[in-house]
Amino acid sequence: MKIDIEKLNNIAGENNVSNNIADLYAYSSDASVHQAMPTVVVRPNTIEEVQKIMRYANKNKIPVIPRGAGSGTSGHTVPIDGGIMLDMKQMNRILKISPEDMLVKVEPGVVDDDLNRALKPYGLFYPPAPASSRIATIGGEIAANASGVRSVKYGATRDYVLGMKVVLANGDLVNLGSNTRVHSSGYQLERLIVGSEGTLGVVVEATMGIRPLPKFRCLAVANFNKLEDAGNAISDIISSGANPSMLELMDNIGIVAVNKALDLGLQEVGAIILFEADGNVKEAVDFEIEKMKRICEKHNGFRIEMSYDLAERTKIFSGRKKLFAALSRYKEGIICTDLADDMGVPNSKIAQTAGKIHEIAKRNNVIMAVYGHCGSGVIHTKIMLDPKKKSQWKDAEHVIEELYDYVHSVGGVTSAEHGIGLSKAPPWKKARSDIVPVMRNIKKALDPNNILNPHKLMDAPDDWVKATNLRYKVVA
Amino acid sequence: MPNVKFKRSAKWEKELNKCIRCGYCYELCPLFKSFNWESDTPRGKLLLIYGMITGELKPNQEIVDKIFSCFYCKNCSDNCSAGVPVTDILTDARADLIQAGFEVEGTIVKIDEDLCSVCGVCVPLCKYEALSIKEQGKDERKIVVDKVECRGCGLCVAACPSGAISQIEGCEVTLPELHAKVSELLKENKDMKALVFICNWSLFPGMQLSESPTLVKTPYGLIVSMCSGRVAPELVLNAFEEGAWGVMVAGCPPEECDHNGNYKARRRLVLLKNVLKELNIEPERVKIDWFSTGESAKLSKAIDGFVNDLDKLGPIKIDVKKIIGG
Repeated sequence: MKIDIEKLNNIAGENNVSNNIADLYAYSSDASVHQAMPTVVVRPNTIEEVQKIMRYANKNKIPVIPRGAGSGTSGHTVPIDGGIMLDMKQMNRILKISPEDMLVKVEPGVVDDDLNRALKPYGLFYPPAPASSRIATIGGEIAANASGVRSVKYGATRDYVLGMKVVLANGDLVNLGSNTRVHSSGYQLERLIVGSEGTLGVVVEATMGIRPLPKFRCLAVANFNKLEDAGNAISDIISSGANPSMLELMDNIGIVAVNKALDLGLQEVGAIILFEADGNVKEAVDFEIEKMKRICEKHNGFRIEMSYDLAERTKIFSGRKKLFAALSRYKEGIICTDLADDMGVPNSKIAQTAGKIHEIAKRNNVIMAVYGHCGSGVIHTKIMLDPKKKSQWKDAEHVIEELYDYVHSVGGVTSAEHGIGLSKAPPWKKARSDIVPVMRNIKKALDPNNILNPHKLMDAPDDWVKATNLRYKVVA
Repeated sequence: MPNVKFKRSAKWEKELNKCIRCGYCYELCPLFKSFNWESDTPRGKLLLIYGMITGELKPNQEIVDKIFSCFYCKNCSDNCSAGVPVTDILTDARADLIQAGFEVEGTIVKIDEDLCSVCGVCVPLCKYEALSIKEQGKDERKIVVDKVECRGCGLCVAACPSGAISQIEGCEVTLPELHAKVSELLKENKDMKALVFICNWSLFPGMQLSESPTLVKTPYGLIVSMCSGRVAPELVLNAFEEGAWGVMVAGCPPEECDHNGNYKARRRLVLLKNVLKELNIEPERVKIDWFSTGESAKLSKAIDGFVNDLDKLGPIKIDVKKIIGG
């Protein structure tokens, strides 16, 4: 692919343009199993620079892949056809904190935790908090419609997007949405961008709603001998009308892994549930916690411990927060791969889905941990396998096919909060063949030259294993 | 390009497979914060090493430069719940690349032979035995750096009486950069009374995670140094010249410093206090204290106490610029 590096140097400055092999290779992968190198990496610093880059790319039909923290799990930012990797992390200014309007204006490279640290002195917070909030950028969270541990009470990124500035494929800058909590002024285009995985435009500024920080937070942990009991307790808590601000599940595989990785000394029971309530009136928080505790006990939950203390809560939660990587420590010879990672199921199907996952994994010679924000119906799994063995990737393919057939059959979704990218595209396209052509029409209208993150979502290859190189050396 | 046999680093392939590339390793990486490219992140470097040992990536100077850029603060390994020994892998990759004959720089210290008097002060200072005196012929000696063992901590840079040792620019670790930082902070914030040097290893991670210092106006300024042992006396004097009422150095407790830099800082500041007395500057304007990882609350309290003490002392009564400059 021919790209005029001089032209890009003139736009973004030569310190922000690189086509040396060290950079191209480093940007060839995210947190997924995929790998493919861009042709050049550019780090814009202003909206005008992004516009100029898009105008150049559109004219010359060069793919552009916007990228935040590179923590995507399904190959969203892996450039199948090369092209310009647009690293947005340098546009990381918090432009405005407005307690009076309860909103913030941020550039897309602002890191979630940094935003929350800046909001804390105002007694405010930005609720969507994926486990990767320490590095995840607001732009990336918009692209994936990230949600996280507090989604059960506070919802997902889409619930906080009020407006945004977006550079379209042709370089035009558009202002979408509003500064108000609601609007009924035409298509909700700002919401169209949410979850679009960089295929419709480059977010260059976002106006996000914020909330007051609750005065009290109480976190509890309940132990269960059986995963099924824990799953049923979660379904019951939700249908009882309780109002948890967090409701997390972790199975035995997850517990063993975090014990190995972090030496937490958790009792290696069948499963644990972490549940939290928050609010400004302590009695109300106590009431919610007590209500959830009783439901856990009804489902054979035991040794239920709780704390209001921040240090104690951080300790209890640390295992969950670091579980993703810790799974690589579960058993010698196998590692954690980010596959089949975040399906969503209706509340009543949590326990049976959790059981089914273990059953499918066992039948296909892999190990799968079950955890996640199950209060929101989000079930995280990871396929743990020996990446050097070719047969294990075949096993993974079978698991994915079987698992998603099941999830869709019970009314679930392919991805609840990580997005489709490359590796989840085949099962998603199979289940949602009705909307694929609609999405293609929208894409064509906004990006007729198909330059924005091409070959993702509805345009991703049908075989995820062959979509790109795997980033592991497979030998036999 | 030299032909590299990855004898030492090939053994890490299994560990490298464990890296899920979550990226938590770069949250507190000082090198990434300075340069902001994916190839500066620990996970980026691990990917480069993986590419090289599996034969997919041919080593070249650009890759080597990245592999040799690391301050070994180990914030990455500490944050890796997959347990990937990032810096151990890096060290072995460095050894392989050096053995193959690559020219390396990165964060490794450099000796200016024209300035170096071969006094040898730096040699016993280096905990990693990365510095030694090499006899060259009859009367010729020079200091040599073991580029595999050098961790880039820079204690030797701060200790060298001839200013002959230098380090990579752009990470705010060289003396001129630290001087510029001191001046910039105090010029931009006329109400700033104290400067606090905090150690990147023990304290800075916690401080970064507590609240954003840029948004909260404080009567003190924070400067990250790669180790308390990096705080040269002239930095303290520079702060006084620029109008600071006092300087605090926050280092790791005795026995906890990776480089024994805390002892060196303490010794140096005791000597400095004696000099201050001679200059009629109250020695209590300089304070050194120890804090472990995660003791950012204790540090905040200590800083508040120090600022209170400075309030009682008021500004320095003599013209420091005139005395030092003269």
